[in-house]
Amino acid sequence: MLKFPKSAALAVLALTAFASPSLADGDADAGQKVFKKCAACHAVGDGAKHKVGPELNDVFGRTAGSAEGYKYSNAMSEAGQGGLVWDAETLSTYLAKPKDMIKGTKMAFAGLKKDDDIANVLAYLKTFSQETAAAPAAVETGKTPVETADAGAAVEAAPAAEMAVEKSQGAFGLGRKAMPDEIAAWDIDVRPDGTGLPEGRGTVAEGEPIFVENCAVCHGDFGEGAGRWPVLAGGQDTLRNDRPEKTIGSYWPYLSTVFDYVRRAMPFGNARSLSDDDVYALTAYLMYLNDIVDDEEFELSKDNFASVHLPNEANFIPDDRASEPHYAKGIEPCMSECKPGPVKITARAQVIDVTPEGEGDENSGGGID
Amino acid sequence: MVDITDPKRTKQAASRRDFLKAGLLGGAAVAASAGVARAAGDPLITEIQDWNRYLGEGVDVAPYGKPSEFEANVVRRNVPWLTADPVSSINFTPLHELDGIITPNGLCFERHHGGTAIINPADHRLMINGLVDTPLVFTMEDLKRFPRENRVYFLECAANGGMEWRGSQLNGCQFTHGMIHCVVYTGVPLRYLLEEAGVKTNGKWLLAEGADASAMTRSIPMEKALDDCLVAFKMNGEALRPEQGYPLRLCVPGWEGNMWVKWLRRLEVGDEPWAQREETSKYTDLLANGKARRHTWVMDVKSVITSPSPQAPVTHGKGPLVITGLAWSGNGTIKRVDVTLDGGRTWQTARLDGPSLPKALHRFYLDINWDGSELLLQSRAIDDQGLVQPTKNELRAARGENSIYHNNGIQTWHVNNDGVVENVEVS
Ligand code: HEC
Ligand code: HEC
Repeated sequence: MLKFPKSAALAVLALTAFASPSLADGDADAGQKVFKKCAACHAVGDGAKHKVGPELNDVFGRTAGSAEGYKYSNAMSEAGQGGLVWDAETLSTYLAKPKDMIKGTKMAFAGLKKDDDIANVLAYLKTFSQETAAAPAAVETGKTPVETADAGAAVEAAPAAEMAVEKSQGAFGLGRKAMPDEIAAWDIDVRPDGTGLPEGRGTVAEGEPIFVENCAVCHGDFGEGAGRWPVLAGGQDTLRNDRPEKTIGSYWPYLSTVFDYVRRAMPFGNARSLSDDDVYALTAYLMYLNDIVDDEEFELSKDNFASVHLPNEANFIPDDRASEPHYAKGIEPCMSECKPGPVKITARAQVIDVTPEGEGDENSGGGID
Repeated sequence: MVDITDPKRTKQAASRRDFLKAGLLGGAAVAASAGVARAAGDPLITEIQDWNRYLGEGVDVAPYGKPSEFEANVVRRNVPWLTADPVSSINFTPLHELDGIITPNGLCFERHHGGTAIINPADHRLMINGLVDTPLVFTMEDLKRFPRENRVYFLECAANGGMEWRGSQLNGCQFTHGMIHCVVYTGVPLRYLLEEAGVKTNGKWLLAEGADASAMTRSIPMEKALDDCLVAFKMNGEALRPEQGYPLRLCVPGWEGNMWVKWLRRLEVGDEPWAQREETSKYTDLLANGKARRHTWVMDVKSVITSPSPQAPVTHGKGPLVITGLAWSGNGTIKRVDVTLDGGRTWQTARLDGPSLPKALHRFYLDINWDGSELLLQSRAIDDQGLVQPTKNELRAARGENSIYHNNGIQTWHVNNDGVVENVEVS
């Protein structure tokens, strides 16, 4: 089932490329690689949905800020109302320096520095635009997987039946035995003692470019966090402050959590796209950003992983809420004359007033994390 | 004030908002609109209304029915500044508009970490692996052949009230307490599934994992897993809503909502906890001394008055007033709820009404005759373990202000002479 739409999508690509060989000077294949920088926020292709940014099917010829169901910045909507339509030229300008072209755009992306990258990514995006000569055919092909969803299910049922199904030995005899490759595909969790780590290695120096390319748009070049995206580094010795900053270096108890979480959930919007070596390198780089190692040649691997300890490990304690005085056993709550005189108001929400009121959404208070 | 942003908002809602905005009208003026004797009869009675003459729509106009158009303002709302992006964010149940103990499915608050996963049940699989005799894979069809149970449970996010640690901040119980809902779940006891795979004797922990883009994971002690956890596929009789984990979610009754993994796809048995991101970086409670509690699973005894409250002011003036609210405890049932009108000097016991089920919401009422004077309303719940809901200051004294999670302190609403209500704290 999974493979089916994928191969169909490839077919679309092939078809489009074939039908219009000289569409752009850019190279769509190379553009597909460049698009990894966008994939954290944008989807394109069959069934693409809005993510952090709008889906980019048919972006050529699209009026800026007009994809249905996506909430643009005012700046982008206004640019569209002002007549901005995306074509090779306008897109090139935007992708080179988004904020220069549209002041106030909420695309948190610095821009593509190389003209080649821009030309290539546009060639790639163009294969998903109706404007393309081959569009009608491509679009139909593109729809196939959706239209034949049921057929897809049937295709999928077949191999399941073929598998030497070993029934469960339990009381109900329901379910079937899980295959080793199935368990390997899903069981990627890593424990503090290193159980679950895959083979692999990566150095701080190798991690840096991977981080800059895949993570920095949201987390900042040094893990300082862009806008409201999570901060990943710093905050040492702030846990007892009024406003503690909880990061990998200042708060997290175990390094295994970094590896496990990045491998399962990051980059946001493009999970499971990194190789195990990439994740080792990124974890090493995050150690470096948090001053846990200072040598750029430091290599993290399956072998030395469990020997690393994070500074705050000892400061986690079991749940002892039951020992708090207000939970002492047998308290009979007071029913009358519980306070000496008339009660005074000591704090009011209206003074802070951060209750949402449509627009105007400034953060002035604590968070939910 | 909370904006009623829906353009189709009702006249009632509009006038209530104007009323809130003005905040000047005397109680008497308001009372007038509520039905003072007129020279001529009420035209709503003396004149024939359209709905009394012309036919309404037939059946099947809405194959899946929706609430009345006059209820358009009863919706979940979010607080945009809280999170970086709506894909990893939260919205809140409109508690102030609801009654009874069951939350309608479409109003159950949402919190996801990688957006709502859309999964065709035919494509969904649940795997059990790790320290078991036989690792297993179930389809949804398989799961529906196990014996089922129906249970009413509340689900509360551990961060409910998290914005209020440093002082009253948000004007509305939707925002201060709305990360909670309570529905009846239909599902298979987790025990049956684990027994089917055969848990090895050293299997002391369970890792639950979701199929969404965050691949959400939490460690759960085996004792709890074998006790009352459910693998649910229905809520309030119909399939789970997509945003609640369709087609399958875990129920971990009485424990923090983050553990109720949605889009449940895998259960791994192990001999130690996994220390996943949601049980280290998040869902640990930082104390004033720099230490942090972990594995704070149980949701403490708690209550809140849902009406009157900032979004549900008193619009009818003096006279009979229904004070109502919700109480709950992750330990079991609620034994008693007390309500004070004077900020905690004197308390009276409220009336619990409706079913009293363990780890479910309880509804309470206090029916008073309001004389139009200022009120400082609070409610205080006591559960069947005898635990009493603490004050916010007691919690701060024990923990500081940086815990984020598990804020079950007593909430105060100030009602002024005009019936306008504000979130406050008191001495
Ligand atoms: C960090 C997230 C992020 C990254 C990375 C990103 N974008 Fe965007 N993009 C956005 C957001 C958010 C918007 C909406 C901007 C607005 O409303 O101001 C957007 C808007 C756009 C638009 C305008 C679409 C329309 O409907 O008007 C285009 C085209 C675009 N991005 C292309 C790209 C390309 C190509 C890349 C990679 C080279 C990229 N973006 C990388 C977040 C991102
Ligand atoms: C499009 C924005 C985006 C990109 C790109 C991105 N992240 Fe994240 N990251 C997030 C968000 C949002 C969260 C919080 C998710 C949640 O709410 O569960 C997060 C959380 C994290 C956390 C946990 C933070 C904490 O304090 O708990 C780590 C570690 C992390 N990201 C690492 C990375 C790495 C490494 C990369 C690159 C491979 C990356 N991220 C790319 C948006 C992003």
